[in-house]
Amino acid sequence: MKQVFKALALTAAFVSAPVFAADTAEVGKPAPAFTLKDEAGKAHSLSEYKGKVVVLEWTNPECPFVKRHYEAKTMQNTQKGFDAKKVVWLTVDSSSTHNAKSAAEWKKKEGFSQPVLLDTDGAVGKSYAAKTTPHMYVIDGEGVVRYAGAIDNDPRGKETTKVNYVQTAVDALLNGKQVATPSSEPYGCSVKYKS
Amino acid sequence: MTHPWSKRSGSRLGGLGVVGALLLATWAQAALPPTAVGSTAPDEGDPRLEGALLLDATQVKAGGDFRVGVRLKLDPEWHVYWKNPGDSGLATDVSWDVPGVTVGDLRWPFPSTFRTPDGFITTHGYHDEVLLFAPAHVAENASGTLNVSAAVDALACKVHCIPAQLVLTRTVPVGPETVLDPEFAPRFDAAQAQVPAPVGAEGAPRVALALDGATLTAGQPFTGKLTVTGADGKPFAGDVEGDFFVPGRIPGVDSVALTRTAPGTFALKGQASSVVPKGEPRLTGALRLGTKATGFTAVDVDTALAPVVAVAGAPAGPSPLKVPSVKDAVGKVQPVVAAVPVAAESSLGLGVALLFAFLGGALLNLMPCVFPVLALKAYGFTRMVQEEKGRVAPHAAAYAGGILATMLLLAGAVLAVRAGGASVGWGFQFQEPLFVAGVSAVLVAFALNLFGVYTLGADGTALAGKVDQSHGLMRSAGEGVLAVVLATPCSAPLLGTAVGFAFAAGPATVVAVFVALGLGLALPFCLLVLVPGLAKRLPKPGMWMERGKQFLGFALLGTTVWLVWVMGGLAGVDGMARLLAFLIAVGLVTWLYGQSQGLEGGRRGVTVALAALVLVGAGAVALRFEEAQASVETRGAAVASHGGAQAWDEAAVTAALAAGQPVFVDFTADWCLTCKFNERTVLSRDDVRQAFLKHNVAFFVADWTRRDARITTKLAEHGRAGVPMYLVLSPGAPGKPEVLNELLTADSVIQAVQRAAECGSPLKGGSVVCARP
Repeated sequence: MKQVFKALALTAAFVSAPVFAADTAEVGKPAPAFTLKDEAGKAHSLSEYKGKVVVLEWTNPECPFVKRHYEAKTMQNTQKGFDAKKVVWLTVDSSSTHNAKSAAEWKKKEGFSQPVLLDTDGAVGKSYAAKTTPHMYVIDGEGVVRYAGAIDNDPRGKETTKVNYVQTAVDALLNGKQVATPSSEPYGCSVKYKS
Repeated sequence: MTHPWSKRSGSRLGGLGVVGALLLATWAQAALPPTAVGSTAPDEGDPRLEGALLLDATQVKAGGDFRVGVRLKLDPEWHVYWKNPGDSGLATDVSWDVPGVTVGDLRWPFPSTFRTPDGFITTHGYHDEVLLFAPAHVAENASGTLNVSAAVDALACKVHCIPAQLVLTRTVPVGPETVLDPEFAPRFDAAQAQVPAPVGAEGAPRVALALDGATLTAGQPFTGKLTVTGADGKPFAGDVEGDFFVPGRIPGVDSVALTRTAPGTFALKGQASSVVPKGEPRLTGALRLGTKATGFTAVDVDTALAPVVAVAGAPAGPSPLKVPSVKDAVGKVQPVVAAVPVAAESSLGLGVALLFAFLGGALLNLMPCVFPVLALKAYGFTRMVQEEKGRVAPHAAAYAGGILATMLLLAGAVLAVRAGGASVGWGFQFQEPLFVAGVSAVLVAFALNLFGVYTLGADGTALAGKVDQSHGLMRSAGEGVLAVVLATPCSAPLLGTAVGFAFAAGPATVVAVFVALGLGLALPFCLLVLVPGLAKRLPKPGMWMERGKQFLGFALLGTTVWLVWVMGGLAGVDGMARLLAFLIAVGLVTWLYGQSQGLEGGRRGVTVALAALVLVGAGAVALRFEEAQASVETRGAAVASHGGAQAWDEAAVTAALAAGQPVFVDFTADWCLTCKFNERTVLSRDDVRQAFLKHNVAFFVADWTRRDARITTKLAEHGRAGVPMYLVLSPGAPGKPEVLNELLTADSVIQAVQRAAECGSPLKGGSVVCARP
């Protein structure tokens, strides 16, 4: 019986492989697990933040969109608005040319505190289907992706009524509510993956 | 290509070229006012994009039409973006400020498609040079000189990106006639030829889409066929080449692609987003027909796709988290879908889940908690077959209908509760004392009916033994309802998977799975109807039927004993006493009702009223259940049945693992017969207990008899919606618990525990291999 069942389950897994093999971060599905080292050499795993809301920010300090948001303190202020006991903010750089030193320099220059995780080979970025910088993901305490997309509704930096999607998503999760806008079109530079 | 704004051209052309370029540049500068040209996207001081504000006329007339455009010229390998930039980038934006002129929508020539070398990021845009233009209509009262101003906001990218902003202005005189610019009008015409024809434009090819399926399923691929016919109504015969289809931004759809399969026919493949969009998505984009050799014709595509429905894997509530292994190499990604059965279970396809649900439903007929109803029904069937053949089908339909209606109600309740934020599991209704009391009352009432205390589904003449058809049908439907109510806690092995799937799925899937379950449950009777010979084989009626009926009454009472025991777990000894008192009241009520059936008119009314009064009174007095304290005694017999068991607690499990002990967690509930069966027949066996002792296993009991959010969450992590669930954790690989089959065997438990112990053994040194079966 057990063998038959196992065979059935495996068959099902193979049959549905084209659908489920897409190892990407989809809203409503478990976020791909990862372990990455930050600029200080400390390893971070998604699993160790279980129970907390995790914000992932794909970045590239050289991208004009990232620069604009750091100059306008969008990322810093969004992060400050969260309870650090309940929300973890991880910045991820999948640029093939960056390293711990360049990340540390950028962090020092901008004066922020969150770790910058280095994904130089791009494996984590691709598992999340991160395509732009910035590209934001919000993961709930159960490890399920609850938001994927842009930081806000303002790709050109001209919008007068800004909506910060990450802030609203995190606030909704902390209040036990559904995320009103679970996805948006991310905008910005492409992630500079190793090619 | 030599061009006045090509700032690199000089170096490539050599001395003579430089002179020529300079001459051309001088000429071009003369043709365009300096305010109409500009450069931007500075790359360390070197501008990568140059823009020019172009008009197709040197003079315009009031009430006349002309065209305004922005030509963007890019350095080699640099590009700007189309209206849908694709995976990254930013759409080029041109905003016009032309007082006295109405400017139409921007016209976008068919774009190129760019891909990163690994093919991971696809974008759409223009390299070298593009003329983005718009039709302009001069006001009737325009005169003098018009100011034309364009603000360009773009993103220029090669590998890195640079924002490009330009404001370009110039003037154009209003005169008696529109005078075309002999140099630039042809350039607008050339650009116009590359702009896809709008949908329905005269003479343009027509695009029609036939989707395979009436809906798209969130997170799933979809396919269809796109046909292109020429203005003459015949299929478009030409070929296509390159990236001939560029999709627009389609909310609710992650990707679409076309492949040419035959002349004028294209196979459409797409992937719906995991998030269900608001409204129905439309297939939008631009299609370029023809080849370089034959010339291109581009058309806009804008056609309805289909509504997106939610499906499995797009849960509204919390979903399982795949905890990564501690062995993960730094920087490596662990696949979400691991090739182990446990993970595969939660990724079952919809079809397989429906099949499992159907089979599980059929198996439920043999479960001890539903078999009495089945036997009852078989008895009823025997009688009916003898009576009249034609009545078998309506009764079977009523029974199936009762089952399906109840299943749908359950599905609705599950969706409602889940929407309310609570994560519920299979059998959850048995965590509610009032529900248990209600089911017990129905069982007792049914039993007394079988004993002949009163008759149901019969008028006065029915006392003589004739069943009124409509009432009989009601009764068949009622038995269907009862079958479902009783079956829910009997989570047969296959059922667990199907239901686990349903709870993690979208509303449509939940309903589908419940319906499949119901159909499976109704299957034996459908078979009896569909196979006439089978029904005839049922034994002939006689006195044995009356005796059998009465005997079945005891079976129902036996089921009540189980429910009373469940109540004991929920509300303690007091709860059991209250329930029994209420059940006696129910007996009294049915007896009164039975008496009334022999009476006439007013006296009958009085008796029925008295019966109702007794029911309401007894209910009000007795049905007040206070949840028992989570004391060790009421924490389920499971703990007691296994010496040395501890109540489950995540911290305690972690501590035991840290101490090098293998851990066995028994997720159970008093109302779960499968759990009880496993505990009595497997977990209490001497050889199993010996194995636990030998390997120093820490045995934990997670009792789900009452609602417990921690346990519900833990079940969900493993793709389960209900108990039983058995986890074996190894100190060597604490992140990888082994989930045992729902029907335990002594061998499977002993082996699992042994594996867990060996894997965690420190004696094996660093090279511990913790292979999973």
